[in-house]
Amino acid sequence: MKKLFIVLGFITAILALILAVTPLSKIAYIPSIAALIFGVLALVTSKDKHSGKKSIQLIFLMTIIALILTTYKAIFNTVEVGNTEQLEQKEEQLEQESIDELEGLEIDE
Amino acid sequence: MLSTAQNKTIAAGEKLTFSASYNMSGLLNELAQVTMETSEVKTSKSTLLKLKCTAATYSKWDSFFKIRDLYESYVSPKTLTPYLYNRDIDEGGYKKFMKYKFNHKSRTVSSLKRKKRRDGTDWEEKKTVKIGTSTRDLVTTLYHIRNLDIHKANVGDSQNFTVLFDNVESVVTIKYLSKETINTALGRKECYKLAISINNSDVLKGNNANLLWLTADQNKVPVYAKFKIAVGSGELKIKSATGLKY
Repeated sequence: MKKLFIVLGFITAILALILAVTPLSKIAYIPSIAALIFGVLALVTSKDKHSGKKSIQLIFLMTIIALILTTYKAIFNTVEVGNTEQLEQKEEQLEQESIDELEGLEIDE
Repeated sequence: MLSTAQNKTIAAGEKLTFSASYNMSGLLNELAQVTMETSEVKTSKSTLLKLKCTAATYSKWDSFFKIRDLYESYVSPKTLTPYLYNRDIDEGGYKKFMKYKFNHKSRTVSSLKRKKRRDGTDWEEKKTVKIGTSTRDLVTTLYHIRNLDIHKANVGDSQNFTVLFDNVESVVTIKYLSKETINTALGRKECYKLAISINNSDVLKGNNANLLWLTADQNKVPVYAKFKIAVGSGELKIKSATGLKY
């Protein structure tokens, strides 16, 4: 039972870490919470035995890093549009082309 | 006939900015900025209204999936009849260019499609498409919805529009659902709630799941939109609006 929780905890914690570094960081909350739950469950099921607390600690460590990173990103990353220079150039060029094109069209107002 | 309806809503120099979000398992991720802009364009013989819509992903997404889309239409400022339509899209490296030239007398559209091949060379396809009397392009249709006399409509009324997209005409139905007051970045607004559906197409999913809120004033600014597609759902929220007519 304990092994299962540790394995599940590891998988979700790693997933949380990976998601936390991508722009999808908000979603990292879901595996983070799962990892925390599995970590706690692993702790509970291994209460009487003295062996192997290290891996559980590692799960918690990874999850906490993921959570901090995600929260940091959610608070400090402002959404802004990247480089649109190319788009603007395209717009200008297209407008010029379009005006030429429109000159040749019959327009009745 | 609709296409001769007078334009009472759209003026040159208007700029609307939206933020598009994608809903991923309940968490909204802000994806891109969408703008809708109008400006005046002069040719030697006439003055036209240019309707421009752009979409650009936020910088954090650019290295993953960069979108730089441009949709524009040159229309008559009096009737919003389209004459020329350009669509230039770049979605994660997939590039496509479409141009429609409307000829309302012969009811045809000469379309030009330009795509990039894998090896980097361009290929073009020219086509002449027969259209109906009130067929419009996508951008003009969006603006035309704002020009409808919704205040005269009753709840439950619906209207059909023919839209030319990818050289195919599709019928889009707009249904007036109710009046609703919602909170927006422009303040608390009373809005018309409209449902959009495309007949014979499965791009938009669900029944009455694709909604559009227009302010219930003379400007009829689109302030909020919700849509449902095959891979999830998303929404469009207004961030700012300048240069409105009223």
